[in-house]
Amino acid sequence: MPINLQRLRSLIRKEVTQLLRDRRALAFMIGLPLLQLFLYAYAVNTTVYHIPMAVVDQSQDAKSRAFIQALVNSQYFNADMYLQNQNQVITAIDDGQVKTGLIIPPEFATNTDRGTANVLMLLDGSDSASVSSGYGAAGLVAQNFSLGLISEQIVRKTGLQTGAALSASSLPITTSERVLYNPDMIDIWFLLPGLVGMLLQTLAVQRAALAMVRDRELGTMEQILVTPARPLEIVLSKIIPLLVLCLLAFVVIVGLGIFWFGVPFNGSLFLYFWLTLLFIASSLGLGMLVSVRAGTQRQAQQLAMPVMMFGMLLSGMIFPRLGMPLVPSLLGDLLPLTYFIRISRGIFLKGVGLSFVWQDAAALAIYTVIVVLVAARNFKSRLD
Amino acid sequence: MLRRTWAMAQKEFIQLLRERVFIIVLILMPILQLSLFAAAIHTDINHIPMVVADQSLSQASQSYLNSLVDSNYFDIVANVSGQDDLMKAIDAGKANVGILIPPDFASKVTQGQANVLVLIDGSDSYITNSAYSTINAISQTYAISLIRLPANPLNMNIRILYNPDLNQLWFLVPALLVMLMQGITMNLTALAIVREREVGTIEALLVTPLRPIELMLGKTLPYLAVSLVNMSSIFFFSTVIFGVPFMGSLLLFLFLSIIFAITGLGLGLAISTGSQTQMQAQQLGGMLNFVGMFLAGFLFPAYALPLALKVVGAIFPMTYFLPIARGVFTKGVGLAGIWPSVLASIFLMVIILFVATRLFRQSLD
Repeated sequence: MPINLQRLRSLIRKEVTQLLRDRRALAFMIGLPLLQLFLYAYAVNTTVYHIPMAVVDQSQDAKSRAFIQALVNSQYFNADMYLQNQNQVITAIDDGQVKTGLIIPPEFATNTDRGTANVLMLLDGSDSASVSSGYGAAGLVAQNFSLGLISEQIVRKTGLQTGAALSASSLPITTSERVLYNPDMIDIWFLLPGLVGMLLQTLAVQRAALAMVRDRELGTMEQILVTPARPLEIVLSKIIPLLVLCLLAFVVIVGLGIFWFGVPFNGSLFLYFWLTLLFIASSLGLGMLVSVRAGTQRQAQQLAMPVMMFGMLLSGMIFPRLGMPLVPSLLGDLLPLTYFIRISRGIFLKGVGLSFVWQDAAALAIYTVIVVLVAARNFKSRLD
Repeated sequence: MLRRTWAMAQKEFIQLLRERVFIIVLILMPILQLSLFAAAIHTDINHIPMVVADQSLSQASQSYLNSLVDSNYFDIVANVSGQDDLMKAIDAGKANVGILIPPDFASKVTQGQANVLVLIDGSDSYITNSAYSTINAISQTYAISLIRLPANPLNMNIRILYNPDLNQLWFLVPALLVMLMQGITMNLTALAIVREREVGTIEALLVTPLRPIELMLGKTLPYLAVSLVNMSSIFFFSTVIFGVPFMGSLLLFLFLSIIFAITGLGLGLAISTGSQTQMQAQQLGGMLNFVGMFLAGFLFPAYALPLALKVVGAIFPMTYFLPIARGVFTKGVGLAGIWPSVLASIFLMVIILFVATRLFRQSLD
């Protein structure tokens, strides 16, 4: 057997002692993922509600007020300011006081009866999120309001008193939407499985890279080399404590996710645990690979930064990979996180089993093997 | 005093230029980041993969499906037989939307009572939202076209100001400029000071006639210059190569950038007093930048944050500069529109500099 367990145990003890000695690094290791978790959870809003809106109601009649109310009732808009004219609205948007403006010209009620009413909505194009939320919402509210108006017209014209109001539900084709897995479209349910992956990957890559480089930088590498320890034991002694650390982090994050944030877990915890272990291994391997080029701990950290950035943007954690151009898509494929997110979402939200995620799991396994081999080869050549 | 400060600045500058690789990375990184962000982020999604169970197979159902596909929002990737197959496809991630058209669809349409079941994958937020609202809208529009209703009594005209084509880059560039500016001034200053402390040359500097204020200024000025150069290159790159329009006053923007850069320098100073090693300084700086990014509204709007986070965000300079940058860059507002934020940032700058210099003086003793 190429590994002497006794030596390995002593080396592990050394690594753990070194890890625990640096209080500040410890605080960062625990605090940073938690900080990130809470920040992402509370700051990420994929659909924006209560968009601040300025209203110019030049009609001031029951119909115009009803329309404004319809917009507010949709939850998408907040009528924060009432102004006199379009210029005031544009200034308010310029100054950033509101993100959208609604302008209702005079004689709204009369015009709707005649069938020629026009309203203008201005959207702040410099704010991407408000526009994408507001555009669709405004259109839908207007369409529904329109249908209501038409039914009133019909009632008046034909004298039908049955109150058969025309609404979206009385159109010849209606759609019944069922949102699977996350019916209320809660952001944190969608984010958490991906966050588990990203936080673990960030932690694993960074600590693995630092651990590999630390001895090199401090010059204690020579001291280790004169001991009977084999290279494999040295590497394992660094990886094993980190593996345990990541598993602890995994338990904490998933625990917080389920019990604090209330995200339901629908799949098999057993399967999830083992696949996460595989993922942690692949991330640690990536961290080792990253450290090959680093001479100092600072450089190792600098190299780990883009990995975190890529992870956030390209893995599909927040922004969908659907429709990404070729280059960013390929870059995303280089991260273990991208595969894990599919696995994580699958097991957490969809409750699927191995039969659905085996492809991504296999990809992770192959990834781990490749990355570890490359890192080991480079490490060996560095040692000699 | 000026001569000593200038001498210090020159030394710092020479040391900086020695790290050739660092400089190249410094100039290239922002451009790479910009391209990366721009390519990765789109919130308007089309060609969403859709699986269809058309149990009617009639003219009516075909026509309906065509309206969905023609909108470009949906692509049919598979045709299956029933609801179970739809669920399986979505479970497996093959499609994000499943449509079940019942066998009696055609006759129901003529009766005016047809119903279509739409299953949407709720595990991917942006896609879910996009699919939900567009399928609703397209279906309604199609249905309205079937019954010959009198013309739409209410016409909603939507006009998008400043960025009518919703070009994601126009939204990202000003924000990225701000973020990079803060990152560079803050991190570089912190690293420079900590490096001296780590290497031990800070004692050598202290025995010179240099006064603390000159040491501070001399150390930070070269980085101010570097960050301004960097900012100009990103600016040039974005406006000329990426075609992002700049609508405001260049002079105003420059003035505001200098204020922001100085704030960043102050923050860097503060960080340096709290860090013993370069790595710690980098971690702290990186963390501040990261947190600031979220709280300032870089990717997600700041007004949508819960109150507690808004309060925390108020002490970050970026929270004020992001809207200022977007205002001047994309909207072309002048000082008149943004003066409250400008005032707040100048105020913040003074406080940060004050606190930072106090801390720095203390650390030198």
